[in-house]
Amino acid sequence: MRLIVFNGSPRGKESTTTILLKHIVNGFMATEENTHELVYLSRVKDSEKSIKLFREAEQVLLAFPLYDDAMPAIVKTFIESLEPFCGRTDNPSIGFLVQSGFAEANHSRYVERYLEKLSLRLSCQYLGTVIKGNANRIEEQPGWMTKKIFKSFHELGRTFGKTGEFDKQIMLKLAKPEKLSAFQLWIFRLMLKTPLANLNWNKLLKENNAFEKRLNKPYVDEIIS
Amino acid sequence: MKITILNGNPNAENARFDNYLKSLSDLLESSDHTVTTLKLREMDIKYCIGCFNCWVKTPGECRVADDSRDVCREYINSDLVLFASPIIMGFTSTLLKKAHEKLIPLLLPYLEFVQNESHHVSRYEKYPRIGLLLEKEKDTDDEDLKIITDIYKRNAINFKTSFCFTKLITDSAEEVTNEINSI
Repeated sequence: MRLIVFNGSPRGKESTTTILLKHIVNGFMATEENTHELVYLSRVKDSEKSIKLFREAEQVLLAFPLYDDAMPAIVKTFIESLEPFCGRTDNPSIGFLVQSGFAEANHSRYVERYLEKLSLRLSCQYLGTVIKGNANRIEEQPGWMTKKIFKSFHELGRTFGKTGEFDKQIMLKLAKPEKLSAFQLWIFRLMLKTPLANLNWNKLLKENNAFEKRLNKPYVDEIIS
Repeated sequence: MKITILNGNPNAENARFDNYLKSLSDLLESSDHTVTTLKLREMDIKYCIGCFNCWVKTPGECRVADDSRDVCREYINSDLVLFASPIIMGFTSTLLKKAHEKLIPLLLPYLEFVQNESHHVSRYEKYPRIGLLLEKEKDTDDEDLKIITDIYKRNAINFKTSFCFTKLITDSAEEVTNEINSI
């Protein structure tokens, strides 16, 4: 099987999407005869290449971070470039990966509906949308937190490489929590009251000598009361 | 009310869309609203690259000095913002999406819980209400409109505001004006 992977992270190689894709692709490549090609949509100048690869692909995986409850604009640019392929009978099968920094998968369910409809619009067989929350800066999360996650992504890629389908059970596992339970909400709300809550953001602000300006309202003087 | 219309029509030849917005703007002004229309295709707005510098280096402002700062300024000073776009491949245009995601500096990086979900904390005391103004493409159906509307409703939650309506440019400008006057 030949897989074309479109990495739709605006951050390109240095992104959470890249890390998650690495595990899927490694799993996919465990099947000997499989091949793949990876394209970074952040290289907007390569759009002709992206279109050509889509035209010739059998299987496509389009992965991106959730931006404003939907796809990043660079991904929308790519999707718009596929308009001539609408209704073509030999379009590839297509699956998606959407990751976000929010803990709950629910944030990504709205764009999932769009992606399913997009597949229909393109007459592509829809393979499903893998959703992963709590993924922001996953590379900085401790190994004990990410080991199982990366293993699941690898397994998802491996089974996909063998069957051409996403394993529904693994998808469900990766998407947890769909929403926060009452208990989880209680814990998180409690955490928000401690200095731990904003530790990472504040650390970055301090490193950049911007902590004192963190609440800046650049346009506040102009606000109409 | 101060109303900002973000015109996400990427195609200058689609005069129908721009003309509709002009008629709407005139009608709204005749109803004593102040209207600013930003023609996004004539503005220099770079893609958001997810660097988070607008949160951790230059809080509240995109580090790239493009025209998104003008969009942010108009946005936060408005009572109502209309996101206007032809539907392209089932969603609002790339042009509008580019401008939309550069509004992220208007929020803080920190999280809070809204409707039992994690969302970013407000940077400002108030945010404008939002509405959608769309032009159907050939194969647009009710499901497409629902998908777009639901995504923008989610955005309203993020921006601590309310979503007012989805209207089509086949709805008369008078009807849209009446709807806005009733807010």
